Amino acid sequence: MKYNRTELAENIGFSSIIDEKFKTAMLSVRFITKLDKDSAAANSLGIGVLSSSNGKYKTLAEINEKLSSLYGASLGTASKKRGDVQILSLAASWVNKRFTIDGEDVDGEMLQIVRDCIFAPNAENGEFAADSFKITKKDLLDRIDAEINNKRGYALSRAAEVAFEGEPAELSCYGDRKSAESVTSSEAFAAYQKFLETAQVEIYYISPEENPAAAEMFKESFAAVKRDSKAVSFRNISPLHSEVAEGSDEFDVRQCKMVMTFKSDSDDAFAIKLLSAIFGETPVSKLFVNVREKLSLCYYCACRVISSKGALMVDSGVERENIEKAKEEILRQLDEIRNGNISDEELESAILALENGLEQIGDTASSYESWYFERFCEGNVVTPSERLNDYKNVTKARIVQAANSLKLDSIYLMLDKEEAE
Amino acid sequence: MEKSIIKSERTGDSCIHVKHKSGLDIYICEMPGFSSVEALFGTKYGSVNTMFKMRDDEDYTVVPEGIAHFLEHKLFENEDCDVFELYAKTGASGNAFTSFDKTCYLFNCSKNYQESLRILLDFVQKPYFTQATVDKEQGIIGQEIKMTNDNPDWRLFFNLLRGMYHNHPVKIDIAGTVESIAQIDAELLYKCYYTFYNLNNMVLSIAGNINAEEVLAICDECLKPCEDKGLETVFPDEPDSIVTPEIYENQPVGATLFSIGYKCASCSGMERLKKTMAASIAASMLTDASTDMYKKLLDEEIINSSFASEVFYGDGYFTVIFSGESDKPEIVRKSLSNEIGRIIADGLNEKDFARIKKSTYGALIRELNNVEAVANLLINAHMDGVSPYDTINVLSELTSGDVYEFIKNELCEDKTVLSVIKGDG
Repeated sequence: MKYNRTELAENIGFSSIIDEKFKTAMLSVRFITKLDKDSAAANSLGIGVLSSSNGKYKTLAEINEKLSSLYGASLGTASKKRGDVQILSLAASWVNKRFTIDGEDVDGEMLQIVRDCIFAPNAENGEFAADSFKITKKDLLDRIDAEINNKRGYALSRAAEVAFEGEPAELSCYGDRKSAESVTSSEAFAAYQKFLETAQVEIYYISPEENPAAAEMFKESFAAVKRDSKAVSFRNISPLHSEVAEGSDEFDVRQCKMVMTFKSDSDDAFAIKLLSAIFGETPVSKLFVNVREKLSLCYYCACRVISSKGALMVDSGVERENIEKAKEEILRQLDEIRNGNISDEELESAILALENGLEQIGDTASSYESWYFERFCEGNVVTPSERLNDYKNVTKARIVQAANSLKLDSIYLMLDKEEAE
Repeated sequence: MEKSIIKSERTGDSCIHVKHKSGLDIYICEMPGFSSVEALFGTKYGSVNTMFKMRDDEDYTVVPEGIAHFLEHKLFENEDCDVFELYAKTGASGNAFTSFDKTCYLFNCSKNYQESLRILLDFVQKPYFTQATVDKEQGIIGQEIKMTNDNPDWRLFFNLLRGMYHNHPVKIDIAGTVESIAQIDAELLYKCYYTFYNLNNMVLSIAGNINAEEVLAICDECLKPCEDKGLETVFPDEPDSIVTPEIYENQPVGATLFSIGYKCASCSGMERLKKTMAASIAASMLTDASTDMYKKLLDEEIINSSFASEVFYGDGYFTVIFSGESDKPEIVRKSLSNEIGRIIADGLNEKDFARIKKSTYGALIRELNNVEAVANLLINAHMDGVSPYDTINVLSELTSGDVYEFIKNELCEDKTVLSVIKGDG
């Protein structure tokens, strides 16, 4: 594998990752901007509309027809949240020409399509084409409406609203329904132009073979854009609530959800990650073994680190009568770690589990992309094996210290309606 | 031990198939350049296998709904410890799943695959059930059933199956019900185990950063020979007709979800693979964004980009399902029916057929790019009674006539069911 990152211009990075084992290539362009309630929905629409047509293929039908003729090449956009930052991305992937039936130059065609989507969108007089915008807007509104369909995901989003109240991270990356509804095509186009001109940009080209045309294309295209970019801050520690904040909703559900958010001011990211693995990331973690298996208090009970906010969330699926017991047990298990009750086996298996994940990076193009993007956000590009060494150097004392830095900040509950009455 | 190399002339990919002396079928795919290993050890035993007998049994045994899934949960616990504790020592990530027609135990790792493979082969061959642990599991699975009942996609899908199938057990929830699993005891679990977990009814597939000879040596060391006892599973007679054309349910959802299912005639082996490919291309052509139907539905804001299709099949069932979000699912159903009628009258567009076929080929190539997908492809092909690379060959020989015949003969309006999950308000 050959990894190389170059700066095409200020705040525009181009990473080329060449790995000949792949049968497909992938190109992803990420626009990184501050998450803001006034622009979140317009940005989501501005990026979303880019894959529904472009200056050459003017309808969804035309662009899809072209993509399917290129062996079902994929093209999509996404709006995501990473702490206080909104990541707007457009990504494509396609079959390498060695596997085409007639040796077609799919690579060349797809580079053109991506270029046209980003730099020559289907727009006139400062607004996107009406049809493309309408489709994108309906998709976004439906997506916002459908967030409740996934109860676990919804509970985590609501928990973020409670924990990060008043901070950008409380927002949905799609914006709220009301603002999404009110965005016009020209506002979405203005948002698109703004992120094209001002966002930090990271581009990833992952392919079995080199293609210098990819970097060249972006260099030329961005040279024609009047750029005035600003670097964003990726890590913004969230202040602890003075009293444990609470939020809850009632729905007609059979299983309740509880999300407990802890906050930490620790800078020891590696110790926090190991603490999280031991606490609740694996099937031999303290939460899985005790809260789920031994005490049967929750069907699932797991934790995740939100390093960009200095937070750790424990989410669980729990019956109403077990909520208090589950809460006590989760806190008791954290106290165990705070008191140094970490066995050698627990530490070893946490490191092995992390190692297992790290060593698999590179088996898919998307794993390369997310690895290098995360490292970019952290400001330190290391290899997975270098990161493994960082974890191996963490001592139990550092994990105990990390656990002691965690303070319970807030609790969100999704309750079943009938019994609440 | 019979060993053969299976090769795809079209892509150059290959794997090894071994009929092991223990009775087990083994598929091995070495994937140079990849770091991870994915292994699945599976039995042809899923939620639909509720009625069975061995060659020497007089009568069929009927078991409670959800028992295959229950057994999967229980097998993770052996006499001394939990299987997760064993994997924790190798770093592998272990898991298992029960579907309609199979139960698979799997691990994924990047190092120590040899030791993880030993763990996998060992625990699946070593059942240990007591009444106390069975009782405890009933509580855990009861919680799982409750959780899946809160999943609107799950409800949508099972309502659709209930609308389509009168008797076939595909209509029952994989995990069963709180009432059905209450009937499960340790004795019944052992009976199901010794019936279905016979190596003659099982497959091992392993792909990635492995050495085939090493894998086979571990299999020789760990597999206990099994006598083929002539397992027979039967399904109740299933009429061609559907049960009901529409099923609606209210749930806390933000967007109304719909599924439209066409009940088709079931078949098996190569015949089913050919039918699956024809069905898959037919469904892709019907949901293709370039069709007038799609454009109209999108333009009138009746569907959004979630509109998609899938072919769902197994022993005794075969359906084509169109799903998405819409406030007017009845219009989607009517439009599909009209479009099918139009195709039957006018014929298929050859250019569109060629394009969708090419796109389907691309999707198959992508699958071969991924360790997990390859391991799954190997086990699924065996369980479906075909060879791993048959799909790509069947696709290359598929004609527009095959797809047209499928649409004409199988996508019938009187065998269509609409399932809808609407919001509470």
